[in-house]
Amino acid sequence: MSVLARSVGNAFRNKIRTAAVVAVLAVAIGLALSMLVANQAVGAKVQELNASVGTTLTVNPAGGQGFEGGGEPLTAAEAATAAAVPNVTSVVGTKALRLRTETATTDTANAAAGTAQPGAGGPGGQAGGVTTSLTAAIDAGTLGNRNNNTGSTNGTGTGTGNGTEPVRTFTLPITATGTAAEVDSSGKALDITSGTGLGDYSAASTKALVGTTLAGKNKLATGSTFTVAGKTFTVAGIFDAGTTFGNNAVYLTLAEAQALAETPGELSSMVVTVNSMENVDSTKTALQAALGSSKADVTQGQRNLETAVSSLNSVKGISLVAFIAALATAGLIILLIMVMLVRERRREIGVLKAIGARNRTIGLQFVLEALVLVALGSVVGAAIASFASGGIASALISSSSSSGAGAVDQRGPGGGFGGGFGGQGGPFGGATQLLTSVTASASPGVIAAGITAVFGVAIIGALVPALLTARIRPIEVLRGE
Amino acid sequence: MIEAKDLVRQFTSGDRTIKPVNGVSFELGKGQLASIVGKSGSGKSTLLSLLGALDKPTSGDVVVDGVSLAGLPDGKLTEYRRRDIGFVFQQFNLIPNLSAVDNVMLPMEFAGVRTSARAQRARELLEQVQLDPEKQTRRTNRLSGGEQQRVAIARALANEPKLILADEPTGNLDEQTGGHIIELLSSLSRDHNTTILVVTHDRGLARKADRRFRLQQGQLVEEAAAARN
Repeated sequence: MSVLARSVGNAFRNKIRTAAVVAVLAVAIGLALSMLVANQAVGAKVQELNASVGTTLTVNPAGGQGFEGGGEPLTAAEAATAAAVPNVTSVVGTKALRLRTETATTDTANAAAGTAQPGAGGPGGQAGGVTTSLTAAIDAGTLGNRNNNTGSTNGTGTGTGNGTEPVRTFTLPITATGTAAEVDSSGKALDITSGTGLGDYSAASTKALVGTTLAGKNKLATGSTFTVAGKTFTVAGIFDAGTTFGNNAVYLTLAEAQALAETPGELSSMVVTVNSMENVDSTKTALQAALGSSKADVTQGQRNLETAVSSLNSVKGISLVAFIAALATAGLIILLIMVMLVRERRREIGVLKAIGARNRTIGLQFVLEALVLVALGSVVGAAIASFASGGIASALISSSSSSGAGAVDQRGPGGGFGGGFGGQGGPFGGATQLLTSVTASASPGVIAAGITAVFGVAIIGALVPALLTARIRPIEVLRGE
Repeated sequence: MIEAKDLVRQFTSGDRTIKPVNGVSFELGKGQLASIVGKSGSGKSTLLSLLGALDKPTSGDVVVDGVSLAGLPDGKLTEYRRRDIGFVFQQFNLIPNLSAVDNVMLPMEFAGVRTSARAQRARELLEQVQLDPEKQTRRTNRLSGGEQQRVAIARALANEPKLILADEPTGNLDEQTGGHIIELLSSLSRDHNTTILVVTHDRGLARKADRRFRLQQGQLVEEAAAARN
């Protein structure tokens, strides 16, 4: 019988006690692994957020509030000015259009009654509406009708006919965005799930990218056609923006959108990318100065996400501390259990020494016995972690986000429904959603790393009692004789 | 083979100083069977622990085959116990959750004997002490007292020691079983030329000894030698 076999046998000498020790260890190890999984998941999310929006600035017309605000439109010359600012690596101009569905009979009736659909005003001062053969993928619902039936100031007419209240047949608009690169309003690359991109984004083109829900609603696939302002466009690809609102949208080339809006050279906004996180603040200041505060508002996406990232970082910190604490607890449990076992088996240790066992052999036997208990605890703990890590991470995140919810939900210029470009559920809106979108899954790599750490701590915990065995003298064998 | 030179072991308890072994000197030759008798608490077990390097004397020395144990480091003393000494205890002191075979294999494992070789030898030794084959794989806490003592003797013989130190090996056994153990120790001494020192209250066992000692007031007194059967 080898030392290992003897250690395994000893670990099961008292089955009830072994079961109790394994259960306690499993809870500690399961908690440690869950915390490690949460830590890794949150860390990855923070990294992703920083990578995606951390170095981008958004430039909107000063006073502009998307489709509702005022101010002067941005121009290609200002895009060139922005591009010349130090540390700016790219400037992507966008032009937003608000498309309304062609409803010939309703339009005619409304025109006869001297009414027009509210919300048909041009985006950012766009005169007149741009019609499309597409039907919005989102029903107006209570919110849509409430937002557009009362206090409407952006319609092209307000009813001046026979004095009766016009019957409104409101449908939500579709956002069409002309972009100079294959990125969304936040500068994040478009996720094209089928088909291809638009090729040269600076040239006019009748190719378009359609959001998944909009494509589904209108039964569009790659190669299908639809019209905007009477012009036929071909679907080059389908993209997934990740939100229902974001997928009720169309992307065109910048030049095409400007042509449709009959505002050549005008931009709704610009996405400016800075070369590093460290230069974002200084570049923002320089950009604001170069464009003039009366002409443009420069906002930093990172600022809007700061609360979310801060919350995530606090969750990361808490989970790390909890991981270390749970790990230390597991080590302490092993230490105490093994000290108890060593004290209980003093005479047996004396016997082993009397018949010629070396100190290191006995020490090794106790360390291995501890590791057998830890291995059993790790198996059960890993099972616990695989089921509980998601819930524990969610609980941590929700408690953290609820404490800072007021700040998290603040939206910057251009955020929110009808807030114009950037209000499509991008990273500038709904930071709470970012927090809750953290997925904590117990990957084998993380579990393996956690268990390695547990074993490391267990060895340290078991070494102390193992060293204690060296101090037991062989004369203990005669104790009680 | 083994020589005790003016051994003293002193314990202090509060203001009291106790010397259960107080200037013991004697010498035993190879293959001799010797017994030590004495009252309970007279220091017999203490003397045995000094001879077996389980404990260190306050003064004096033990010399085994010309090698002094005084001043040897713990590692060397462990090696001495592993290689030269076989212990048989009154309480058997077997590892309860191991089988009889596994218990006998332990000293050989510590001595680095290969697994297959030690398993074979363990079975041979258990047969030699007449333990039923079906009981050899049984856990020792499920064996009777006599069977456990046989396993303990087999374990003591595992590494073919020069000296067996037995501390009241028949103390927990009935008369018949004790008689078997006495025969066994006697034959070991005779047939294997093993030196055996037995601490005992058992007159039968004492009578079998080549040399008989009595420990009283910490001093060892040799009694008249008996004619060995």
